[in-house]
Amino acid sequence: MSAKKKPAYKALAAKKHNRRRMLTFWRVIRYGTDSFVRNSWLSIAATAVMTITLLIIFTSLVTQNILNDTLGELRNKVDMSIYLKTKTTDKVGSELTTELKKLSSVRSVQYISAEEARAEIAKENGDDPNVLAALNEATNKNPATLRVVVENINDTSQLEKFVAGNELVKANINPDYKPSFAGERRNTIKTIGRAVNFAQVVGLVAAVIFVIISSLIIFNTIRMAIFNRREEIQMMKLIGADQSFIRGPFLIEAIIYGFIAAFVSTGIGVWALYGSSKTLLSYQITAQPTIDLITRYVPLVIVGMMLAGALIGIISSYLATRRYLKV
Amino acid sequence: MILLDRVTKTYTKSSRPALDRVSLFIEPREFVILVGTSGAGKSTLFKLLTREEKPTSGKIVVGGIDYDTLKDKNIPLLRRKIGVVSQDFKLLPQRTVFENIAFALEIAGMTHREIKSTVPKVIELVGLSGKEKHFPHQLAGGERQRVAIARAVVRQPKILIADEPTGNLDPRHSWDIIRLLEKINKYGTTVLLTTHNAEIVNKLKRRVITLDHGKISGDQAVGSYRQ
Repeated sequence: MSAKKKPAYKALAAKKHNRRRMLTFWRVIRYGTDSFVRNSWLSIAATAVMTITLLIIFTSLVTQNILNDTLGELRNKVDMSIYLKTKTTDKVGSELTTELKKLSSVRSVQYISAEEARAEIAKENGDDPNVLAALNEATNKNPATLRVVVENINDTSQLEKFVAGNELVKANINPDYKPSFAGERRNTIKTIGRAVNFAQVVGLVAAVIFVIISSLIIFNTIRMAIFNRREEIQMMKLIGADQSFIRGPFLIEAIIYGFIAAFVSTGIGVWALYGSSKTLLSYQITAQPTIDLITRYVPLVIVGMMLAGALIGIISSYLATRRYLKV
Repeated sequence: MILLDRVTKTYTKSSRPALDRVSLFIEPREFVILVGTSGAGKSTLFKLLTREEKPTSGKIVVGGIDYDTLKDKNIPLLRRKIGVVSQDFKLLPQRTVFENIAFALEIAGMTHREIKSTVPKVIELVGLSGKEKHFPHQLAGGERQRVAIARAVVRQPKILIADEPTGNLDPRHSWDIIRLLEKINKYGTTVLLTTHNAEIVNKLKRRVITLDHGKISGDQAVGSYRQ
């Protein structure tokens, strides 16, 4: 009979244990939220610092994205041109375009015939009747052009090899104009390539440094807040509270800082980005793709910021309480 | 029951021991007054009892728990069996009287219903009825100490350690607190009291243990204050 009773007793004990754990869990949350509300000045200060931290993280990420887009645009604008004879036919142009597209280092190719080049000049100088008159008079000596966008502007070796080895290119290449990546402009392109790479590395390093510094600031703020309440912790220990009961409310408080700060900083960040988009555009800075991205995924951005804030808060609180929780 | 067998506590190797081979036996339900000058070892003794410190050597057994075999994870459970009251009250400043006392029960996982029925009784015992919703800063020193005592005894501990509980109080409030401790002792709790107040020691006519430079220099069944 006792053998039958034992499992029932165990199940009851387990049920009671679980109920107690659940009760403790809710109490920890209540203590955390109460502390947040009742230590209002401390909470406002910590939330403000957390907001600044998240804003720095947001700005770093957005800047990094804008920088990448802008540099990408710049890369696309770098002219990798192969100049062909004026008489080159559209058929040859299209054949060469197809051949070039097969190269792994080539992202896109555009063929501009001599006629199109002349039309382009006419369009660009539409206001100047003298230029238009001269264009009408003169024989078209503009070269046909293959405008090539490469994956990496620092590496044109495959393209150079193609130009040197392809028979169709050899037969049609313009003897008066060397390809831009092989002639005098080669160095200019390489310099731009190096600058773009450097800017990207600097941007990434700056973003990482900003994130680290801002995380240290919030860590220090939370540490100070907990230092102010070390006697409370001491007292809780003496009464017999276990570590999780003491630490829990501090973690909850930090999560609340993170959640509120996430909303505020995302709001400020998005507002500032929208506000400055026209100015950025006037400086040839490509902000629109980033704005579009954020607009499309606003809920995801906020959730991401909330998680980042909560994570920074939890880690800071955990580390800050650790020294006071030793037995 | 509290048993200390040749307990020594040395903080740094170069300094003299804060407690030097102290042996002591305190019966259940006793009311013991511990006296001694500052630095005599009273606080160290209390820290050893609450397991805030470990002895350098010697044996401590409290309420049947041998501290040598006590695991770190069980220390909170031990502390729940010992009530502690200190000179500076150590209340949670952002919590009301009710919440401060309830805290001691909440950490032990007691239900809301149990807390609601227990706390008012203890508030009444310490004479703070009507002040349940006050915050510590709204109370006088004596009242704060009553809250601290209520919090210490609400779980009905076997032992109550009162470390200079009257140190910050005027004579009238000091006696209120002492009377309260006597009442708690009468209900069956062992009380360990430290005080520098000679009048209290002399009038109480209880067992007095005198500590001097980490050693027991006197243990009188009905003692008086000696410096």
